[in-house]
Amino acid sequence: MTATSAPTLAAAPRATADVPHRPTRITPGRVVRLVIFYLLLLIIALVFLTPYLFSLNASFKPLAAILSDHAWTPATSLSLTNFKEVLTSNGFATYLGNTVLITVIITVGQVLFSLMGAYAFARLRFPGRDALFWLYLSMLMVPNVVTMIPLYVLMDGAHLLNTYWALFLPYTLGTPYAVFLMRQYFLTLPSEILEAARLDGCSEARILFRILIPLARPIITTAAIIAFVFSWNNFLWPLIATNSSDLQVVTVGLANLQSNFGTQWNLVLAGSILVLIPLVVLFVIFQKQIVNSISLTGTNR
Amino acid sequence: MTRRPVSMTRRQLLAALGTAAGAVAGSAALGGCSNAAARWGFSGNPDSAKANLTYALWDTYQQEGYQKSIDQFTAKHPDISVTIQQIPYGNYAPKITASFISGNAPDLFWVNTPFLADWIRQGIIADVTDRVRAANIDTSVYVEGLVELHEREGKLYGLPKDWDTICFYYNKSYFQKLGVSAPTEQLEWNPDDGGTFLKFLRTITSDSKGKTADQPGFDPGDIVTYAVGNTNDPQSGYGSYLPMNGGAFIAEPYAARTVLDTAPNRETISFLSQMLVDEHVQIPYGELGPNADGSSALTLFAQGRLALFQAGDWNTSSISELTSNFEVGTFLLPRGPQGGWTVFNGLTDGTSTATEHPEQTWLLAEWLGGADSQRIMGSGGYIWPAIESLDPLYAEHWKKNKVDVSAFLTAAQGKKSLYPVAVGMAEAVSDVQTALAPTFFGTASAATGLAKAQQVADYRISSGA
Amino acid sequence: MTAAAIGTEAAATTTRTGKPTGRDIRTALGFLAPSLIGVIAFLLVPVVVVIVLSFVKWDLLTPPSFVGVSNYIDIFRYDAVGHSLLVTAYYVLLNIPAQTVIALGLAVLLNRKLPGTSFVRVLCVLPYLATPVAMAVVWNWFFDPSTGVINTLLGFVGIAGPSWLSSQVWAMPVVAFANIWQYVGYNMLFFLAGLQSIPASMYEAAAIDGASRIKQFFSITLPLLRPTMLFVLVTGVIGSFQVFDTVYVLTNGGPGDATEVMNSLIYKSAFVGFRIGDAAAMSVVLFVVILVVTIVQFGYFRNRTTYEMN
Repeated sequence: MTATSAPTLAAAPRATADVPHRPTRITPGRVVRLVIFYLLLLIIALVFLTPYLFSLNASFKPLAAILSDHAWTPATSLSLTNFKEVLTSNGFATYLGNTVLITVIITVGQVLFSLMGAYAFARLRFPGRDALFWLYLSMLMVPNVVTMIPLYVLMDGAHLLNTYWALFLPYTLGTPYAVFLMRQYFLTLPSEILEAARLDGCSEARILFRILIPLARPIITTAAIIAFVFSWNNFLWPLIATNSSDLQVVTVGLANLQSNFGTQWNLVLAGSILVLIPLVVLFVIFQKQIVNSISLTGTNR
Repeated sequence: MTRRPVSMTRRQLLAALGTAAGAVAGSAALGGCSNAAARWGFSGNPDSAKANLTYALWDTYQQEGYQKSIDQFTAKHPDISVTIQQIPYGNYAPKITASFISGNAPDLFWVNTPFLADWIRQGIIADVTDRVRAANIDTSVYVEGLVELHEREGKLYGLPKDWDTICFYYNKSYFQKLGVSAPTEQLEWNPDDGGTFLKFLRTITSDSKGKTADQPGFDPGDIVTYAVGNTNDPQSGYGSYLPMNGGAFIAEPYAARTVLDTAPNRETISFLSQMLVDEHVQIPYGELGPNADGSSALTLFAQGRLALFQAGDWNTSSISELTSNFEVGTFLLPRGPQGGWTVFNGLTDGTSTATEHPEQTWLLAEWLGGADSQRIMGSGGYIWPAIESLDPLYAEHWKKNKVDVSAFLTAAQGKKSLYPVAVGMAEAVSDVQTALAPTFFGTASAATGLAKAQQVADYRISSGA
Repeated sequence: MTAAAIGTEAAATTTRTGKPTGRDIRTALGFLAPSLIGVIAFLLVPVVVVIVLSFVKWDLLTPPSFVGVSNYIDIFRYDAVGHSLLVTAYYVLLNIPAQTVIALGLAVLLNRKLPGTSFVRVLCVLPYLATPVAMAVVWNWFFDPSTGVINTLLGFVGIAGPSWLSSQVWAMPVVAFANIWQYVGYNMLFFLAGLQSIPASMYEAAAIDGASRIKQFFSITLPLLRPTMLFVLVTGVIGSFQVFDTVYVLTNGGPGDATEVMNSLIYKSAFVGFRIGDAAAMSVVLFVVILVVTIVQFGYFRNRTTYEMN
């Protein structure tokens, strides 16, 4: 095995990242491997995409057809009735606006504050660090169905129920999950850089924001996506914590289409697709960034 | 915006997204300054000249009708405004409960029977007996049984608004294709040989070659349309069959234990879970949703996989929407050895004990329980009005829309078994469904299932009281 | 820099020695303050309240009464918590190994700059982005016994498929499958991020030494992914013990109690039965179980920290 044939299945990722820049010899073995690779990709794509194709297809159908057709029966027309009905339905724009607002606040706050906490756990020394870390970690293990009840009473005591504060405050100051995620990442970064910076007299804040954050962009992006998706799809807490329709978020709006007298699946599907689009767009942008930031993470160039 | 294609940097894109987000949120907030401030917890001065009531319900379809009714109410009472708050049914009880903790409770809210006893005990819905007496409301105008349903120990907790019974919807086109007509007389079943009911069901179960279950050459391995889809549900499913054989779910409202594990009930449940399945006329219970709860039954009926849809009348609007490719009729459930029965239920409006406007809330409750509102609701086809004399309105509405719903009214005039009421009943019903599921799926006997169901249900309702 | 220094818990400490100074502590506190306030106010306080609630009988609206440990006895006697713990453990065992292996496989496969890979990466993560309310109808399209995709395909090859979700045998594997489908792409993201932080020079050195790619995978990739693996496994196991949405949508605990996982039981006790004390006691039991399992996992990773490259 030579170094040049490394870029194939299950091989060294960093090496493969350089493939397009390198002159490659086309050998029969390589062609076979490529064919197998793309067959695998096709199967994976089908597994993950089919349900969405079905959903998209169904979102053009009237309710009766959704329930009586097979999922794979194509819609007879590309009627946008369902989408129009959702978009013009009472409050959908308000709900979407609320979701966007809350999600942006949560994402920014959660990533920033968790990042700071993670840095402290990974790279700073203070007494009781491990115990405190276990406290954070153990908070992940508590079933949140039940903690919602004290949280509700707490928010009520603070007179914050039925305001935007109730929607974002519990998730904005950093979460154990995000702290854990970024701490694990900081642990993998070589400590020599930090030592050098410290010897140069950099403050810890400067080290974090000028050195570590650029290095940690993939994980920050990941944490941001997680925070964003969590907040975008959060349902039970917004439902319980707010009453007025001015404050409702889009997931609650969609759930309102389900009743015990039969769910309007046509609207649920169309609405879900509308709600999914911004997430997909954001993810597409950021996931490219994860890949492109490879050159930033390396320490050996 | 320029029209040339622009390649945005990520930063520009984020900035644009931020602006867009701000714009959406901002425009949403621009509904009024005080409004926006309120969302951030800075309350202004609400219009104190008016009583602002909140009315909570879960059904979006009936919401339309109630909005029309309430518009008339507020026209008559310009000093009262009413906001309808719709809450999805699956989260209705938690949401109502939570709103009482925080003091945001709706002034008036729908109460379904499984919630009733707990909410009376917790003191969140008001006793309206004196108000009804003071307002001289004649409760004899309501369909018999409804007042009893909303009472405890002689006290009334809400005026009846609607009612429901259980019947069969049937696929008229399918019947015509088979050359079968709907039974003109009530069918009869018994636990020994199934009676005329089972015979009839055989004639409407068909395989892919069009042979029905009563014909030679019928292939039970290749059934396209099953006759019936009974479900593991004490209301739309087996509930009506229990009294037909002399059994019951609970002996009387607010009893401390159920009477599920009895000889007549074992016969009934065996008939439904075994005999009908063995005779290939009942769709496999596995197709009827989680624990055979029947959540997929309407879909199966719309798909033509079920000839009969055994259900409550609240499905009529969904059915008329879903079954555009065939006509639908209704007929009565069969009668059993102890006659014909139906589970009977209805909704009421609970008046909050925490309301700041008890007088105005009562005016609204009285309006919704009265003839003017129920006329609007009945003639719009939203509900069967609780006031018996208005019931023809509902039937007429659906006759115009080609659904004959008269069987439900006939059932309501016959023998009725009230939906079981007891403290802890909402959870007991859910646990009974879990306990009976193996019986309906054919992996446990009726005796085992009922014994387990009674044990768990008795614990729930006795420990809750 | 040696490989051993990367990816071990030992690397958590800075290389400086000596006691932390007052300035160190103040700095750390400054960094920690926001998340610490959040954790205490919105997690720790509610958790303490839940522990207290597990000793009372309360329906949210009438005054609570202290009942000692009787909730803990009742939930095992009347709510079959023992059975539910077993069901939950079974789910975790079905879910975690398959999910982790597939996620790692996908990450390795898709971590390359060939055309199409980033598109497929996005597809893998799609299910994680989906709004849960729409999932019910999607799964029905697949698992419906008469009209579903799976049984229709099986029908083509002459197999009569079961009623997946009402079968004692199949319901739980289907729930696990649905959950893997939904979250495998999400876990893949972590492995991708981890893979990208491994310096290419290590593979080049190993290749020069004549190590096969399989050997490289086990001697370089896996050891260097250890912090990622710890994270994915720990959070994955914690999340699996708390599975709820998928069960709620697919089976609601059925058939019978075959998929009645702990969180489903807790939800029903709290929000159908309004037995807050019982639900709190169940939460404490589940919490203790998860805590023990997590400590065991950390112990396992800590005991296997030394491996040298050369």
